[in-house]
Amino acid sequence: MIEANSLTKRYGARAAVQDVSFSCAPGTVTGFLGPNGAGKSTTLKMLCGLAHPTSGGSTLLGRPFAEIPNPGRHVGVLIDASAAHGGRRGRETLALSAQLLGVPESRVDEMLDLVGLDKSAARKRVGEYSLGMRQRLGIAHALLGDPELLILDEPANGLDPEGMRWMRGLLRDFASRGGTVLLSSHLLYEVEAIADRLVIIADGRIVAEGTRDELVGKEAMTRVRSADDHALRSALRSFAIDVTTADDGALLAEATAEQVGDVALSAGVALRELGPSRSGGLERLFFDLTQGSGDEVHAPTDPRAALGIADTDTDALQETVR
Amino acid sequence: MSAIAIPTIPAGERRPGFARLVQVELRKMVDTRSGFWLPIGVAAITLITVIITSLVHGGHEATLAHVFANSTFPSAFLLPVLGILLVCGEWTQRTTLTTFTLVPDRGRVLAAKVASSVLFSVAAFAFCLACSAVFAELVGNAPGGAGSISLAVLGQGLLFLIGSMLIGVAFGAAILISAPGIVLYLLLPTIWNALTAAIHALATLANWLALDNSFDRLPRGTLSGSEWAHTGTSLALWLALPLAIGWWRFRTRDVN
Repeated sequence: MIEANSLTKRYGARAAVQDVSFSCAPGTVTGFLGPNGAGKSTTLKMLCGLAHPTSGGSTLLGRPFAEIPNPGRHVGVLIDASAAHGGRRGRETLALSAQLLGVPESRVDEMLDLVGLDKSAARKRVGEYSLGMRQRLGIAHALLGDPELLILDEPANGLDPEGMRWMRGLLRDFASRGGTVLLSSHLLYEVEAIADRLVIIADGRIVAEGTRDELVGKEAMTRVRSADDHALRSALRSFAIDVTTADDGALLAEATAEQVGDVALSAGVALRELGPSRSGGLERLFFDLTQGSGDEVHAPTDPRAALGIADTDTDALQETVR
Repeated sequence: MSAIAIPTIPAGERRPGFARLVQVELRKMVDTRSGFWLPIGVAAITLITVIITSLVHGGHEATLAHVFANSTFPSAFLLPVLGILLVCGEWTQRTTLTTFTLVPDRGRVLAAKVASSVLFSVAAFAFCLACSAVFAELVGNAPGGAGSISLAVLGQGLLFLIGSMLIGVAFGAAILISAPGIVLYLLLPTIWNALTAAIHALATLANWLALDNSFDRLPRGTLSGSEWAHTGTSLALWLALPLAIGWWRFRTRDVN
C-alpha cells in the first residue's frame, strides 16, 4: 500500500509538487507519468523520506517511511541508478546493503543472478558499468530485502529492448505475487505497457488518474490508411469525426473501426489498413494534459517525439520498443 | 484483487542495531578504491616516519616517546581526509539515496560514522604505537635505551588522533561536498592563524582557538592545566561547532 496525501513541496515561491494525492494497491503496477521536471522524482523522494514535504504526508504499508523500523525489508527503492559509488565493486555494493538489512549474503548472488549480472560484471567497479548495468544493479538492490513495495524512478532508462522486456516481466511477476509497484517515466509507451493504472502529473499537479480504459473512456480511436487519405479525411470530418495524422502518415480517427469503414465505403475510398489504435487516445490525452508544462529549456519542437510516442499501435511497439 | 491480503509491518520488527551500522560504516571506509589505498598510504607514511625518526637523530633523541610523537603526525594529517570522505562521499557519490532509504534516521547514520571513525583512530593509534615500539627499540640506539612513555602521553596521543579524525567528520558533515570540505579543512586553520597573527586584537585569542598550537602538542608531553584549557577551547571551535552544524545539515538536507 502506498498512499500520498496532499504532498506539497515548495522551493521559495515555486511549487515543485502541489497537493499530490494518490494510492497504489497491492497486486498492481502504477505508472507515474509526466514530462521531465513535472515533479515525479520529488514526489517519489518525499514518499521515501529523502525530501521533506512542505505540507502533506504519505504512508507506505500504513506508516510514514521514517517510522518503518527496517524499511529495506519492505520497500525496494531505486531513485537513480547512477547514484552508486563508482569505486565500489558491483557485488560489494549489494553485500554492504545486505549486511545492513540483515539478509544472508547468498541473497546477493541470487539477486545478481536474477538481474543477469554475471560473475565478471559483479567483480567490476560500478564506475565501469554502463547505464543499463547500473539499472540492473539498482533493481537487484531494490529487491534485496524481499520487499512488498517497489518504488522505481525511471527504471527503464538506459535499458535496451531486451532489458525492457525483462523488466516488464519482472515487475508483472512481482505484482502478481501481491506486490505493489510504483514506477515513474516520462515516456508513455514505457509505462502503458506495464502499468495497470496511470497517475499523470504535470507542473507538479496530478492531472489524471485511473486505468487506461477509465482515462480514455469508451472513446474509440481507429488507425486507418487508404488509397486517398485526403478524401477520407474530408469524409470523416463531414460526419463530425475528429481526425489527426500519426507520425507515419496514417490517420487517427475518433470513431470505431466499423464507423470508419462505413464512412470510407460511402466516400468510395479504398482502405489499405484499418484497426483500433490502442495508444492513440491515451497519447492524445497525455499530450493534452501535459502540454505546455515541464522542462521548458528542453522544450522540443515536436512534443510527440519528445514524449517518445512513435505513432504505431502499441502492440507493435511492445515488441520493438525502439 | 480482493484475494490479495494487504501486507503490513510486523509489530515486533526491530531496526538494524547500532553495532551493525558501525560495522557497515567501517566496511564502507575501506571497500572502495580510494578507501582501500588511503589507509595503506597512511600506514606506509607512518612507517617511513618512524624509521627515519629512529635513524636520523644519530641515536640521541630516538626515544620511544619522541618516535611515537612523530609517528602520529601522518595520521593526524590524513585521517581527517578519510573522515571528510566518509561523510561527503555519500553526498558526492549520491549513495545517500540508498543509505537513507535503508536507515531513515539519519542521525543514527552520522552517529555510526562518528563511532566508526573513533574505532578507526584507535586502530591507527595502535599501529603508530606498535611501529614506534619496534623501531625505537631495534633501530633507534638512544643512549639510555628506548625508554618508556607515560600513560598520560599515550592517552593524549589517542585523543590527538581521534580528535583529528572527528574534526574531519565534522567538517564533512557541515560542508557535505568532498572537495570543498577538504580544501576548507586545510585552509581555515591557516587563514585563522594568519588573521590572528596580523590583527593585534585577535592575538590573545590565538592560544585559545588556534588548532595547530594547542592540538599538535598533545602527543609530545603531558599538558599543564592552562594548556588543557587551550586545547579544550580549540576543540570546541574546530570540532564541536562544525559537528553541530553538520548534525543539523546531515539530518535535514533534502537528498538530490
